[in-house]
Amino acid sequence: MRKLVEVKLENIVKTFGETVALKGIDLHIKHGELFTLLGPSGCGKSTTLRIIAGLDFPDSGRIFFDDQEVTYLSSSERGAVLVFQNYALWPHMTVYDNIAYGLKIRKLPKEEIERKVKWALQLVKLEGFEDRYPTQLSGGQQQRVAIARAIVVEPKLLLLDEPLSNLDAKLRLEMRSEIRRIQRELGITVLYVTHDQEEAMAISDRIAVMNVGTVEQIGTPREIYEKPKTEFVASFMGKTNVIPAKVVERHGDKVTVEFEHFRLEGLTYTDKSDKVVIVIRPERISLHPIENAVKLEGKVDLIEYYGFFIEVVGMFGETRIIARTISDKDVMGLRPQGPVAFYINKDDILVLPKQL
Amino acid sequence: MKVSKWSERLFGTPLFEPLVSFSYLFPLLYIVVFLIVPVLAMLAIAFRHEGHFSLYWFKSILTSSYYVQFPPRGDFAIKTVTATGETVYLIRGIDFGVVINSLVVAALVTLLASLMGTIFAFIMARYDFRGKNFFRIALFIPLLVTPFVNAYVIKKMFLDTGLINYIFYELLHILPFRIKIDGLAGVVLAQAMTYYPIVYLNAYASFINIDPTLEEQAENLGSKGFHLFRTVTFPLALPGIAAGATLVFIFSLEDLAAPIVFQGDPLAKKLMSYQIFSKFLYGLGERSPEIAALSILMLTLAVLAFLGIRKYVSLRQYAMLSKGGRWKPRVSKPRPWQAAIIYVVLLPLLLFTIFPQIGVVLLAFSKQWSVTVMPQGFTTEYVKQMLFNPDVRRYIINSLMYSAAAVVLIILLSVTSSYATSRFKGILTPVLESLVIIPIAVPGIVVAMGYFYFFSQVFPDTPLDPTNIFNFNPAFVLILAYSIRRLPFSARSVYAGLQQVHVSLEEASMNLGASRWKTITGILLPLISLNVFGGAMLSFVYSMSETSVGITLGSLNMQYAPITAFMKDIMMSAAGSAQLAAALGVLLITVQILSIVLVNIITKQRYAFIGLT
Ligand SMILES: Nc1ncnc2c1ncn2[C@@H]1O[C@H](COP(=O)(O)OP(=O)(O)O)[C@@H](O)[C@H]1O
Ligand SMILES: [Mg+2]
Repeated sequence: MRKLVEVKLENIVKTFGETVALKGIDLHIKHGELFTLLGPSGCGKSTTLRIIAGLDFPDSGRIFFDDQEVTYLSSSERGAVLVFQNYALWPHMTVYDNIAYGLKIRKLPKEEIERKVKWALQLVKLEGFEDRYPTQLSGGQQQRVAIARAIVVEPKLLLLDEPLSNLDAKLRLEMRSEIRRIQRELGITVLYVTHDQEEAMAISDRIAVMNVGTVEQIGTPREIYEKPKTEFVASFMGKTNVIPAKVVERHGDKVTVEFEHFRLEGLTYTDKSDKVVIVIRPERISLHPIENAVKLEGKVDLIEYYGFFIEVVGMFGETRIIARTISDKDVMGLRPQGPVAFYINKDDILVLPKQL
Repeated sequence: MKVSKWSERLFGTPLFEPLVSFSYLFPLLYIVVFLIVPVLAMLAIAFRHEGHFSLYWFKSILTSSYYVQFPPRGDFAIKTVTATGETVYLIRGIDFGVVINSLVVAALVTLLASLMGTIFAFIMARYDFRGKNFFRIALFIPLLVTPFVNAYVIKKMFLDTGLINYIFYELLHILPFRIKIDGLAGVVLAQAMTYYPIVYLNAYASFINIDPTLEEQAENLGSKGFHLFRTVTFPLALPGIAAGATLVFIFSLEDLAAPIVFQGDPLAKKLMSYQIFSKFLYGLGERSPEIAALSILMLTLAVLAFLGIRKYVSLRQYAMLSKGGRWKPRVSKPRPWQAAIIYVVLLPLLLFTIFPQIGVVLLAFSKQWSVTVMPQGFTTEYVKQMLFNPDVRRYIINSLMYSAAAVVLIILLSVTSSYATSRFKGILTPVLESLVIIPIAVPGIVVAMGYFYFFSQVFPDTPLDPTNIFNFNPAFVLILAYSIRRLPFSARSVYAGLQQVHVSLEEASMNLGASRWKTITGILLPLISLNVFGGAMLSFVYSMSETSVGITLGSLNMQYAPITAFMKDIMMSAAGSAQLAAALGVLLITVQILSIVLVNIITKQRYAFIGLT
């Protein structure tokens, strides 16, 4: 049976000349989990992945696979197999030869290689494509060959660098569930990289949100989405309202904050800084009265139809706040420049220290 | 885990890997030991007089009127009258002394070649006209190297009884008198005619690579015609033109063939390359400091030109930012006056510049060529002699073997050096990058002299010692010289190939468990095999026709001499077997054409012969 690994990164620092790509990364990826690095372009996701794969080496810090330190183990000895963003299929080899490559390196008997390649092709649903060359395949097919080539060697750890970024929208959804299916079927540990929060939410067991070379938060998709710990995480996880405000009163961990002429009392906040943002998800704002809610009165700026939901952009003084509803009834009677009231449950208002 | 600070610093990878170290160190040491050290070792000789460090030899050269002559001596043209009463103007050039002559000749050749090269490149890149394909092919012909015979035919063309006078004096009556071109003027013509396609190729590539929208924008703003050319097109192409021009400058400086062919006129001998060559031949076995000093002077001039241009070109590396959109080449039909220039001026010019190669072929099959316009009488005698005379065949086989051996070394050197410099970023990377192209800037005769001093010093009284008159075997030295001198051609090609292979293809292989060796042989080499092949062919072809080292060190023991040494011998000997040399020239042309056709068919791309950057 394959041995799965647990991966630990301790304080990994990596610079490229003047650029500090990673400023001290700590990660702990557990057996058989699908762990995602999520962050905007340039935040250091690929660098982290390459360091784990042994294709780059950190300036300082250590990497462990289970209890073995692998920081300076060469890529070929590490067994952490990477699926490259550009797939990196060898153009001079057929699909079969591409997939068989790692097995031949491991000097497996010919029949076993054949059997395994067949199994891998089945797994990625590409039976019958053995003799094609990579250039004769579509993007999605190339992608699946790249995945097959990686899993066929039964890696301790599978690394996927933005595997869906070169595919069109429809295929992306399809491949997303494929990857999840394969991961479940094989039960392998997967480290997945993406800049797309929706993709990350859909696929991951846990997510690490990265920002300019640091990890801002680690948690399950639900935790990250509902309880972002920083302003960056909150704003990166989908469209949300981030409203600058300041703390004007404190009672233990309950505070009163102010923005524009609104005062919101009894919110939970523990950080020392008085400069804060309040974060409210648009779908948590109600356009009709609800119990125990804060009521904000302003005027309508825009009403936007998205098909299966509608967004109302309200102006509260100088502050724009977006509310989202799926009910046509909610927006009946609203018109641009007309009055509007937003109702928000206090539990849905997050107060975080101002960051950006 | 062999983590090494040194490896990180020098090679740019913290894991010490023997293969990576080898890729850096093998080419690096090879070039240092077989180029830098021998050439610099001449410094020790040149700067030494009566046992002390001294500028004596340089002073004696630069203060002698033989080497530096101001004001210049002689008349540019001399009028003579023949027995039949016809006026002949003999044009030879004037004598500034050896050192200045070399500079003047190189400068004039560069100027002429740049002018012709740029004009041809421009019409080829921007106009569509009948016969363009003929132009395209013809422009490659002067690049077919036939040492000595080529210049010999050019000399014949410009005799008072030659082709030029026949056409312009006898037929067209454009010239009011006959002209005869000899001496330095002859050298300038011969070199300009031979080298201008080098500028053409570089300039053409530059013109083609200019983003058309840049010119369209200028037109859109009201610029047109020559103004457009002067303000936008030409400046953008200038780095390419300058790169080609520098090569021409260096090639002219080091050329031996033209001065040797024109040596009937003593003025043609007053060039640095010829002086080093003849002093070497006549002072055989003597480790003369004067030759060393002259070589150092020549090297300095070539390296200065080379470094100057590298600096300039790197400053002007305009990134051609094309933001998508169509890339429709700007090709138009010439206007009537432009067509007139193309057919009335440029076509004849082109025909004249390919005549030498035609003349070589004709000469190889003719009985004699004395004072007629064309060679006379048909015979296959010389071709037979070339093919069946065992002596002649021996030279051919020598050359083939040396070139083949050199190519093996060149492939190893270019693959290792290109791999190191394209895949790793240690402090040795820029060092190696420079070392690999520096052979372009070192004149062949300087390499020859460097080897002469080096091998006689380091391996005295062995077969490697050139002063060991009867026992010297030039094979090893020639192979080394070929491999160093022709390395840049191949290295460029391999490097270009590596640039086109995304590193992730190799990383994927190592990531799947393959060793570096397996990755290089199984992934990388198959992907760049065409580039390796193209580069190897190019190096092979130019090794076969290598002149400077071949006719100096190579001719010290004729038993092992290469083909070029033999060609020089028969060209210089009085009983003219120019025809046999021409037959060998035809052989070389054939090898070159076959190689080029083969490379073009196999790699499916047009190989630019020579470039600099
Ligand atoms: N080989 C490299 N040389 C120089 N800078 C690099 C290199 N690789 C990455 N970087 C820099 O490191 C930072 C992180 O890059 P990367 O890990 O590729 O980000 P991501 O994958 O999250 O988009 C970026 O600023 C990038 O420019
Ligand atoms: Mg990336």
